[in-house]
Amino acid sequence: MIGTGVAPRNWPLAVKVPLVVAVLMAALGLLASWIVLASLASIQERNLRRLADVTLQTLAASLAAPVERRDIWETFDALDRLTALDGGMPVIAMVVLLPGGEVLAASDPERFPTLRPLGEPLLLSALRGGGMLFDTGAARAVATYRLEGGGEQLGTLLAELDIRALLAERRRAALALVVSNSFLTLVMAGVGYALMRRMLGPLSRLAAAAERLEKGEDPGVLLEAPHGSREFRKLFGRFRAMVRAVREREMILKRLVEEDRLAQLGRLASAMAHEVNNPLTGLLTVVDTLRRRGEDEGVRRHAVELLERGLLGIRNVVGAMLVAYKEDREAARLTRRAIDDLRYLVQHEVARKRLELVWDNRLPPSLPVDGGAVRQALLNLLLNACGASPVGGTVAFEAVAEDGICRFRIADQGGGIPAAMAAILERSGPPEAPPGRGLGLWTAATLWQRIGGKIEVERGEAGGTRILLVVPVEVGVEVA
Amino acid sequence: MVGRHLSRRSVTALLAAAPLLPAAGRAAPGLSFGLTPVFLDNDARLLALMRRYFERRTGSPVRLVKRRSYQEVTVLLLAGQLDAAWICGYPYVQHRDRLDLVVVPVWRGAPLYRSYIIVRRDHPASRLEELQGDIHAFSDPDSNSGYLATATLLIRHGRRPGTFFRHVFFTYGHRNVVRAVSRGLADSGSVDGYVFEVLAEREPDLVAGCRVLRRSVPFGFPPIAARADSRATGLLRSAFLDMEEDPVGRQILALLRLDRFAEAASSLYDTIAANARILALAS
Repeated sequence: MIGTGVAPRNWPLAVKVPLVVAVLMAALGLLASWIVLASLASIQERNLRRLADVTLQTLAASLAAPVERRDIWETFDALDRLTALDGGMPVIAMVVLLPGGEVLAASDPERFPTLRPLGEPLLLSALRGGGMLFDTGAARAVATYRLEGGGEQLGTLLAELDIRALLAERRRAALALVVSNSFLTLVMAGVGYALMRRMLGPLSRLAAAAERLEKGEDPGVLLEAPHGSREFRKLFGRFRAMVRAVREREMILKRLVEEDRLAQLGRLASAMAHEVNNPLTGLLTVVDTLRRRGEDEGVRRHAVELLERGLLGIRNVVGAMLVAYKEDREAARLTRRAIDDLRYLVQHEVARKRLELVWDNRLPPSLPVDGGAVRQALLNLLLNACGASPVGGTVAFEAVAEDGICRFRIADQGGGIPAAMAAILERSGPPEAPPGRGLGLWTAATLWQRIGGKIEVERGEAGGTRILLVVPVEVGVEVA
Repeated sequence: MVGRHLSRRSVTALLAAAPLLPAAGRAAPGLSFGLTPVFLDNDARLLALMRRYFERRTGSPVRLVKRRSYQEVTVLLLAGQLDAAWICGYPYVQHRDRLDLVVVPVWRGAPLYRSYIIVRRDHPASRLEELQGDIHAFSDPDSNSGYLATATLLIRHGRRPGTFFRHVFFTYGHRNVVRAVSRGLADSGSVDGYVFEVLAEREPDLVAGCRVLRRSVPFGFPPIAARADSRATGLLRSAFLDMEEDPVGRQILALLRLDRFAEAASSLYDTIAANARILALAS
């Protein structure tokens, strides 16, 4: 499921939610561990402080007399014996300092020379601060105790303690916490993942059904409501209703497009009838002339030419109609001729409004473009341009193929295309619902989008509309 | 503290207070025998053997009394609370008019021993003069080898312990002097040569931290002394003299690394007596 996207935001919920839970649990575990370790450290320090207080207090009682006498040996002997004791305080060294700061005696005279000033910074810090000082970096603590006799200070007793065992205990506790928290987090993440997968299973089915629908396939059993969850049953019911609504709308749209095409066909048929009828009257006149004066060589030849031109005109109109509406409209290629034939299909509108049709077709004879779609779209837009143009106006058409791209330009002198209509043409993305008006434009835009083209609409300040259509000719060329 | 040797005046004062001291033997039947830090340490086996030997030889219960300093044992002896005691030559010469010389230990063929001046193994000094400015450990202010010998040596050189050394202190035990020097509490120390040599055999690790800088002239070995009027003197003397003939006695001698005990004349301690006079004059 992770393969559906690399970026975390693309990860499925079944992964994201357990992951978030795992991260939160890890954060909670860290906080709890920190509190536990801080508490452990505090308890250890308190216990050591109590032990040191009791031990130093007891020792101080026996040291008061020798210290008062400045008895180096007895002081040393007492310190040395206590330091050598097993099972009590983890003493590294003990020192008795005189009020002047000189060492009277220490359990380790090499480190703390007799009758010399104390030189160890840690012990000096403890002496200045009084009480007990911890240095976890050096794994040592220093406890101090004031030696008094007769209400006066005789000296200070300092005990340097080894706290490696305490630190090791803290490390063990930290390790145990990290291991247990990591294990719990992993287990909770795993359980969360399984639960989320199970809970989100119906949504995955819904997504798969939507995917199938998008590809035009039947979602089949995927749309069957899951058991148990009322919310999902409701959701699946609504989704099925939505699918039905979309299908109905598609059918309606198809019907609308078909109706529009038929209406267009009707208009074209009428126009064609008109176009055929006009020369037919002339042709019948020519036939009458032939019948009456057919013996005359000059008249006969002229009549035959007229007949031929008239019949060719009819053939062009009929031929164009056949090309445009033959069943196989998905012509594999676009031909220059097919584009030229569009003139005949709009001829009626041009004539009716006495328009000037400026035609510039510079396409090569044949191009690997969906000819049917291009023709249908251009015909819709040309008819739209003719319809929008004022009587006696000009409609210009231009077709060029260059740099692997086909460009078409249709310009009219109408009042300017409404913004909503222009938006239909210029839209990108999936087809929107067909509008109430402008079905022809919507059809053109949908066809153009289907063949991978783009449409731009320009509206002149003094009216008039220019529509630029581009479509890639070669595979791999993108429309800018 | 340097002048804290056992003067006649101080002993007289202490003797006046002796009846107030806890009874150590006067009222108790049998023999009371005092021991001082001449002994090596608290050797329980040695004490048990001694009690056993003397009880058998004297036919009386024997009580061995140990005290921290020479002064305490000497006071008890002179006050009559002890029948006899193993004391040092220095207190003996100070009070020999009131004490009988019972026997003298014989060590390495003679009733003699020396005082050693020891220094730490890494001490740079090779002569006595180079110990100036040291912290020096003495054994006891009433000890010949552990104080008197070094003090008079310095006096003969025109110096005084209190000014020659940066500081001096007493450990009240020859073994403690060795401990103090070996651990670095003191730079140098004065110690009984006999104790040092026996320690070198029995506790080589302790002695390994020290080296002997100077050995003194021979002195009379710390004697067993009794009060002049003691009736136990004869009994004790014969018990000590017969020690090498008795299996338990030989065990005691072996533990003490002594050859035997012998009779000796008081003149054996004239050298110590001369030193004592020098120190008294200097004080």
